[in-house]
Parts: sequence; C-alpha cells; structure tokens
Amino acid sequence: MVNIRADGRSCEDYRHMELETDVVSNTSGSARIRLANTDILVGVKAELAIPASDRPDEGRIEFFVDCSANATPKFEGRGGEEFATEISNILSRAYDNQGSLNLKDLCVIPKQQCWVLYVDVMVLECGGNVFDVVSFAVKAALHNTRIPNITVHADDNGRTELELSDDPYDCKRVDVHKTPSIVTVSKIGHFHVVDASMEEEACCLARLMLGITEQSTVTAIKKEGSGSLDPESIYDMMETGKRVGQAVNATLYQKLQEEEKLGPNKRKAGFLG
Amino acid sequence: MQRSKIFVKKTKKGSVLKVVREHYLRDDIWCGSKTCDVCLQQAAILEESPELESNLCRQPHYIVTDTNVVLHQMDILEVPVIKNVIILQTVLEEVRHRSAPAYKRIKDILTIRDKHFYTFTNEHHKDTYVERQPGESANDRNDRAIRMATSWYQEHLDIKIVLVTDDMENREKAKKDGITAYTVSEYVKSLSDSPELMDKLALRTSDKTTGGKAKFPEHLPLSEIQRGIKSGNYMQGSFQASRDNYLEANVSVHGSEKFDMVLIQGSHNLNRAVHGDVVAIQLLSESEWSCPSSLVLTETEKEEEEDTPNKENILKEKKSQVPKQPTGKVVGIIKRNWRQYCGILQPSLIKESTKHLFIPTERRIHKIRIETRQAKTLEGQRIIVCIDSWPRNSRYPLGHFVRALGAVGDKATENEVLLLEHDVPHTPFSQSVLSCLPEMPWRITEEDSKRRMDLRHLDICSVDPPGCTDIDDALHCRELDDGNVEVGVHIADVSHFIRPGTAIDKEAAKRGTTVYLIDKRIDMVPELLSSNLCSLRCKEDRLAFSVLWVLSQEAKIIDVKFTKSIICSRVSLTYAEAQMIIDDKNRTDTIAKSLRGLNRLAKLLKKQRIESGALTLASPEVRFHIDSETHDPIDVQSKELRDTNSMVEEFMLLANISVAEEIFREFPNCAMLRRHPEPPPSNFEPIIKAAQSKGLQLNVDTGKDLAVSLNDAQLADNPYFNTMLRILTTRCMMQALYFCSGMLPEADFKHYGLATPIYTHFTSPIRRYSDVIVHRLLAVSIGADASYPELTEKKKTHALCFNLNFRHRMAQYAGRASVGLHTQLFFKTRVIDEDGYVLFVRKNALHVLIPKYGLEGMVFLTDEKKRSPFTYDEQESIQRCGDVEIGVFDHVVVQVSIDRSNVQHQKLVLRLVQPEIPGFSVPSSGPPSAKKMKMDTS
Repeated sequence: MVNIRADGRSCEDYRHMELETDVVSNTSGSARIRLANTDILVGVKAELAIPASDRPDEGRIEFFVDCSANATPKFEGRGGEEFATEISNILSRAYDNQGSLNLKDLCVIPKQQCWVLYVDVMVLECGGNVFDVVSFAVKAALHNTRIPNITVHADDNGRTELELSDDPYDCKRVDVHKTPSIVTVSKIGHFHVVDASMEEEACCLARLMLGITEQSTVTAIKKEGSGSLDPESIYDMMETGKRVGQAVNATLYQKLQEEEKLGPNKRKAGFLG
Repeated sequence: MQRSKIFVKKTKKGSVLKVVREHYLRDDIWCGSKTCDVCLQQAAILEESPELESNLCRQPHYIVTDTNVVLHQMDILEVPVIKNVIILQTVLEEVRHRSAPAYKRIKDILTIRDKHFYTFTNEHHKDTYVERQPGESANDRNDRAIRMATSWYQEHLDIKIVLVTDDMENREKAKKDGITAYTVSEYVKSLSDSPELMDKLALRTSDKTTGGKAKFPEHLPLSEIQRGIKSGNYMQGSFQASRDNYLEANVSVHGSEKFDMVLIQGSHNLNRAVHGDVVAIQLLSESEWSCPSSLVLTETEKEEEEDTPNKENILKEKKSQVPKQPTGKVVGIIKRNWRQYCGILQPSLIKESTKHLFIPTERRIHKIRIETRQAKTLEGQRIIVCIDSWPRNSRYPLGHFVRALGAVGDKATENEVLLLEHDVPHTPFSQSVLSCLPEMPWRITEEDSKRRMDLRHLDICSVDPPGCTDIDDALHCRELDDGNVEVGVHIADVSHFIRPGTAIDKEAAKRGTTVYLIDKRIDMVPELLSSNLCSLRCKEDRLAFSVLWVLSQEAKIIDVKFTKSIICSRVSLTYAEAQMIIDDKNRTDTIAKSLRGLNRLAKLLKKQRIESGALTLASPEVRFHIDSETHDPIDVQSKELRDTNSMVEEFMLLANISVAEEIFREFPNCAMLRRHPEPPPSNFEPIIKAAQSKGLQLNVDTGKDLAVSLNDAQLADNPYFNTMLRILTTRCMMQALYFCSGMLPEADFKHYGLATPIYTHFTSPIRRYSDVIVHRLLAVSIGADASYPELTEKKKTHALCFNLNFRHRMAQYAGRASVGLHTQLFFKTRVIDEDGYVLFVRKNALHVLIPKYGLEGMVFLTDEKKRSPFTYDEQESIQRCGDVEIGVFDHVVVQVSIDRSNVQHQKLVLRLVQPEIPGFSVPSSGPPSAKKMKMDTS
C-alpha cells in the first residue's frame, strides 16, 4: 500500500492554499482563500439586534452562502441554491455548540441588545473541496473581525443608552481558538483521503464531513454520496479527520497570527494580485 | 495613492454602521507661496516677503493656526494687517463641523485677495497626511496633522513658519519638533505696529487656569445634562432674562406639559446664563418656590460684591399672598446663543487701566468686561462687543471689542444699532438679487394680457397714509343691475415678479417683512418693485391679483371670485383726501360714489364683526413731524383715525378671510394661515384686578364678553380710562402667528382678535413675504400659475413660518425702538410737563404712560439713598404717601427730560410733578403743552 495520490500528495495532505484577511474594508472582518481552483470570500458583519428569547444573554452567529453563477456551470440559474443551503447548514451545525464560540461575549445588554455576526460566504469559483475551504475562510474572517466596543449607560429609570467609542481602534475580537473547521474525508476504494481533487471527487462514492476543532472535538458530522459506509470505516475516517483537523486548524491559526504581526503596512494582494 | 478612512457610527435607529471612505493622496498639491519654485502653481497666494513685523519673529514669516484660533479669534484674523496665513484643510473642516457662522466668516476671508490667506489641503497631500493611531483621540490626531503640515512647510520653504495655538500641549510638542509656536496673545502682543489688535483678542480663560474665588456653581457636562433630561431630573428650555431685573429670568421649558415657564432668581441660580441661551434647569423643591419681585433692578455702576447678597435678600422676601411660581436653577448650558452686542463703554474709574466694562443696549444682557487701550477714543461711541467666555470666578462675562459704529446720539449710528440689535437684515441687495429684476422700461406683454382679466375700465382707487410709495392695495365698488353691489380688492401681483427659487425670492424669504423705522424703510424687495412696478400707482397699468365679491346691500357675500388682472388706478388718495371726497356732497363722480358705497358696506361689515366678538384694542401710536433739514423730530402727534382707515381695513380683512378659506379648501395640508390663539384666562388677571380697583367687572370668558365689557367700562372722571384699559388688554393678548395648516388641528386656526375661524395675510405682498406665499397658493388653486415642490411641503412651510414669525416680531420691536429713539431726540432740547397715566404700580416705581407721545417710562419713587416717601400696598397695588394715593389708571403729571449726567448714556427721565409730594415731586415747569390731543376712545 503506497501512500501516494495522482498529484503526488499523501492521503492526508492538503493542497497549497493562499489566504488573505481584511480584503473587504466595509465589513467587520473578511478573508479570502484560494485552494487549487476553489476561491472563497467571506465577510463578517457585526450588527446589533435583540437576543433570542431562549438565550437572552447570548449573541448569535448566522451563515449565509451565495454561490456565484460564475463559480461553475452547474450553478447557472438557481442551480447553486441547494448547494449553498447545504454549506450553510453544515456550518450552522458545526458552530452550534457551547464550546466553539463564546457567544456570551457578544451580549451587550441581556434580553435587550446583542451582537449578531452575519457571516456572508461567497463561492467565487468552485474547484473541489468547497466545504473545507469555506470553513477555513470563515475561521479566518472571524479572526479578522473587529467589533466596536460599546459602553452602556443606565439612567435611574432603568432605560439604557449605548455609547459608541469614537476611536476606531477601540474594539474587541472574536476568539477563534476553538472554532471548528470542516474536514471532508473521502473514501476512494479502501483509502481515506482528505482534500479530494476534482478527479478524486468524481470517483468517490461516499464521504464524511466532520466539523473538528483544534482540540480534536468533533462538532458536526455528515455523510454524503451514494455509497454506503460500514461502522468500522466511519470510525477510521473519523480518526483520520481528527488527526488532520487538529493539524490544519493549528496551522491556520498560526498563519493568521503571522499575518497579523505584519501589521497595517503589509502589502495587500486584494483581488488584483 | 489610496488610503481609507474608517469609522463606526451609530444610526438614528440605533444600529451600528461601519463607514469606509476612500481617501486619495496626491503629489500635486502646491504650497501656495510665491517664493517657491518647486511647486508648479499658477497663481501663488502667499506673498514673497510678508511684511508683518513681530518682535518675536523678525524674519518674514507665514502663520499657521489651529482650529481654536479660527473659531475664537476670528476678529483678529479679520483685521487687514494679518496677512499670509495658511489655513489647513484639517482646521477648515473642523471649523465647519463646529460652527457654521465661523466657517462662513473664514471662507469669506479666504476669498479676499489682499489678505493672502491660503488653504492648504494637507489631508490629501502625500507628505502631510497622518493616520490616526491606536489610542489617539481625534483631536490629538488633528493637532498632529497641523504640526506635520507646519514642519512640511518649514522644510519646503525658506520662509519661517509660525504656528499660533493656544493649546499648551500642542505648543510643547511643536517645540520638540522644532516648530516655532506662540499663543495668540503672545503673537499679537509682539506686533509692535498694531497695538490696537490687543483689544480684539478674545479673552478665553478656562476655569482651571485662573485663580480667585469661584462666584458661580460649576456647569454640568453635556453628557450628564442629556442623561438628566432623559430621566426627567432636568428640563431644557430657552433662557429669557427679565428686562427690569437683572437678577431674575424665566426659562420657557421645551416639551413639558406641567411647567411651561420656570422662574429663576438670584445670581447663583442664574449661573452665568445669558439671554437667549438654551439651558438645562433643575426645579427647586416647592418650599423654595418664589414669585417675580415687583422690584426694578438695574446693575448699578459702583455696585460691589457685598451689595449683591443684600439685593438677593430683597428678592427672597416672603410674600405669602401672591401665588408662587415654579422656580428653578440653571445647572448647565446646552447651547450658548451669544451674538455680537451693541452698546457703549463704561470707562474704568482707574485711569490708564485697560480693563473696562461694556454696557449693552439690550437690557437683558449683562455688562461685559473687555480689555481695550483705546478707551479714550471709544468713549462716546457705540461699539460692538463679542462675549468670549464666562469663567466661574468672574462676575461679568469676558468679551472683546469688535468694531465701533459711530458717535452716540448720532441718528445714523443709532439706527444702525437698532437694526443690528433686532437682527434686521439691512445690507443693500446683492447683485444676484438685483439681476432678477425685470428690465426697464417694463411693459405688460401680450402674453400677460391674454391670461389676465382686463379690469382697466373699472374706476379703481387706492387709499393709503400720506407719503406712501409702496401701494399694495386698491379698491372699487359699483352697483349691479340686480340690486347687488360688486366690490373689488386689487392687490399688487408681486408673485408675478418674484419667481420661486430665484435669488430675489430667497432674499425676500429671509427678510420676511419690510421694516419701517421713523425715518427709514428697509425694503423686503428692491425699490424698483416696491415703489414702482408692484406699487399700484395711479394712471399706470399694473398687474394685480383681484378678489371680486358680489355683496348684497346688507353686506352679505353672495359670490366671490379670484382672478389675476390688469388694473389702472384712477387716483391715489390719502385717508384724509378720501374722507373729504366722501363728505363733500357736491361730488357725484364715480370715484365719490364708489368710496361712499365702500364706506357704507364697511360700516356694516364692521358691525357684523363686532357682533361676533371682534375686539377693538388700542396701542398708543404716534407720528413724528420731522424737520426737513436737520431730520430731527420737531413735533409729535398721535395718529388720527378716520372712517376711511377702517374702511380700507374692513375690506382687507374680508379679502384675507375669503382667500384663507379658498387656499385652505385647496391645500388643507400646506396653506399658510395666520392664527391668534385665545389667551389663557390667567393672562387677564392683571387687568381684571386693575378694573376691580376702579369698581368695574370685566368678563373675559369669551372674546365677545370681553368686547362688551370693554365697551361698558367707562369712568366719568377719566376719559382716557377706556383707552388705557384697551392698551392693557392688548398686552394680555398672545402673539398672532403664521402657521402651516397641516401642523395644527382645525380648531386652533381661530383668530381671537378678529373673531374669525380662519385668517391669513393676502393684502400686502410688497412688504410681507407671507402674502407672497399666499398669492402663490391662491394662483395655483385657481389655475393661474404652476405649483412647485416646496410650496406644498408641510415641513418647508412650517420652517418658513418660523422665520416669518421671528422677523415679524423683530420688525415690530425695531419699529418701536425707532419711535423710542426719536422720542429721545425730541426731548434732547426740551423739558416738558405732561399728563400721564399709571399703567402699573411697582414696589419702587410707577410705570407711567404718556399718551401724547405714546411714551412709557418708570417714575422711580426712591432717591439716591434708596429711601422712598411712599409705602407700597402690595395687596391693592397702591403707593401711599400721607393722604396721597397713587394706583393703576390714576392721572399724574410728570416732567420729561433727558438725563445728561452721563454723556455716554443719555436716558429719558420722568419725575413726578403732580400729585405734589413735598420734598419729592419737582416743581411744575410750565403748563402741559397747549395742544390738547384728541383721544380715541372708540
């Protein structure tokens, strides 16, 4: 058994990725990732809203995915909608747990005001392994997000007033240390590969999408494809996913830190580069 | 090169927005100096060798200022000597943000070529742009941008650059960067050639830097005030100082149902608020409530610290009988509404001192402390002064001298003063306004005559006061075959010449009304229109807007029609001439018939009006006879009223009412109407009380009741009593106001004084802008003219009404002030005994009206040592001295003269002659002038 794939990678190797954050200035945070031909842009907008009644002291995170009709011929017309819903569903599931994001931090006034993070995902080009790349981009964009600090004044009658700091640097961050990434493990023959190329995707009958944090916590799991998986191989695939997920999350986090250290004077590639 | 400016803001709805603006930096912004040969500029503004000599900086130099210098020391910057100043874009934008008037002034300076002021767009220059750093406040960033630009200039040019800033921290940082920086006063002091500049320096001292005992409580910061207002602890209102007592004021509270007026007493509670400011107040506990004192207090000259508490104690004297008013104290200032004030200098008693007090003409304004070295030359002049600040430890606000207007007592100067004081726009019309005028010779075009009804065959005439050149109404009346009468009111068609949106329209809307002074008229529209093209002069074809009624013989309206027309007035009459024609039985021409018909109908109309409850009120009006050469008044007469006055008035009222009904029907939401609210019953209390003292009952339940009881109120021994009662009633009334019909429920449209449910102004478009708008509305409703968006916009009309009401009120005050001025001029050479009547009895004075001159004044009952032979009976408001009792309406004889003891501040003085009080009243200086005046008691 040789651990080598058509393009020379081993089974648990990702392809080369290009990542840039802060690419859309009028968002609270943004990131763009290119992996092979897959191109994903994510923008995060923080807005004030009323907390959900069942979670009065928490903020929210909401995902919206838009598949550009240019991304692949399949998305023509309304073709991309189903795919987009699929992506946003798995993202919501992966993030829907107490551990990954500290949503309590997003609460401004319990029962009255909280921050809602609207995560807008744009699939600009579809070149395989979209789920994984989207999740990386979301993580990077959240890392880049700056939420303005708000001070709350309360008067004697219990009415409150929000005051916004006039210093644009006075803001708080989102801790992405425990947020999940999606790792798709594809079963091809007897092998489990991650980051399947277009060709590999074509000959894969069953794959498992796993939401995994750097701490190897599985937050979501979903099986896809027409083929069936026996419990044994599901277990194996999860183990692979955990291993890869831990590594990829750690690398991503490290790279994000490195980029931030470059400071505001880093050269921006943007969309022209 | 592109940078983005990013900031977050909160929207009105409460959501938070991140705003990103693209900001481009360039390398082609030039320095603007003639000495520079690097920059590729076409016309450099800054001079090659600036000449300003400064002791601190003997080399030629340019000046850079910071924002506060522009905001607060504009009077210095405006001085012609100050040239070659670089105004940075950072500064300019901040000024625009902080104060619109200051921004306008600095923009004006920038356009003057001789001043050599240059705007350097440093925010877009690639070398001078600075980005805000983490932890840096917006102000610090701007200061850094200013220093950055200054150092750039220093490196770029050979000429020295001087940074002028009053901010100590900024100055120190600048010095570290190697920039020469001075404070404004340091710099201005160093200008050895122009010592007079020191006077214009605004005195700004912060509370922290100056020593001395704090005389006032601290003002709360704005954020705390806002929170307090929200929670209801504080109230917001506009501060109105009392005219008669400088230690008393009222605050009219915005948006509170419970208290609309709150009394403020004592200098501590007044806490440095100045008339017109928007302040935050806190109510005192009910036990501390007080009532207005009936004392007349003016800030006296020698008054010292110890004196004040005494006076305040007088104010606080317990008055159990009088109902107490909500009383409060000022806790903070929300918005200062300081303007420039006219007045005179009160030179310091210490010679050589540069600190002086300034006495404003407006009595509601405190004295202002200013510094000047030209006290000698300014003595006897009217000057303008600005308030700069009022620190806690200063008894008076601090200000600086702006400019001198001219000698005190000089009529031109005094006129200027009263126009300035009443905020009357009186500059000559600008070129852009004049270019809107039609070309002369003007002729009625074919187009016009096609669209208009030709009424030139009618025998129309105008009736106006003598000397009137802006004739805006003319009348006619003729018998119809069916026994009815046709009456026409023809109003100058001003809206034909003043088209919406033009410069002339904007100017007229701003001026709002023509202001009539005794010897001067400040036109709302240029003279060509007011006295020629729009004026319905006789024997000339003029465009008019006509209201044509068919009236029954009993003066009931059968039909009314509005039309644009062309008329030709047969004759322009004065009231007296018209009266003579009516009375002359030999005249049977159409004009005479027409006038008689009008007169007859007018009497019927008036009767109907009075029956429905219209009030006949009185206010003393006078006419001056002006010497044709010296232009000084030589005689005063009260205005005579003839039948013809009331004839014209009746038809104008009728036209206004008919038009109001029409435009309200067509534009229920945006008609400009005029209302006169019914006064609250409490307003009448003083006159009811006054009438009771004479044994008369006034019924004020409705307008009709009031009118009837006024008619019945006669005193056999005092023929002037009724008129006085009417004068006093006038003062109980509310102001009539313009309003937009969509802003109020229909029930509030009422005109109380005229007793009509709806009213507007239609008949004087030459002198009132409201009438122009009403003309436009009427023209649209009859299909004679096109509408335009602003006309039907409720909010716009509402805002316009606000301005018109303000201008109208100011014009009234200015007119009254002009009468006062002429009265004073008239008495310059005279000392006369006159009949007078007591209007109010005050604790230490009598408020006396002299009908002959329409003059009101105080007869002080105290001597210099504050002793009075009188005792004041507050309950009955009577002053007693021995057997002599003086109460409201009582007849007195007073001596009128000018007090010249203070050359600068001449004032009219009234002294009691009769009833004689030994040791107090002055001897008679001759009988009251022979001419007995006619008194109108109808």
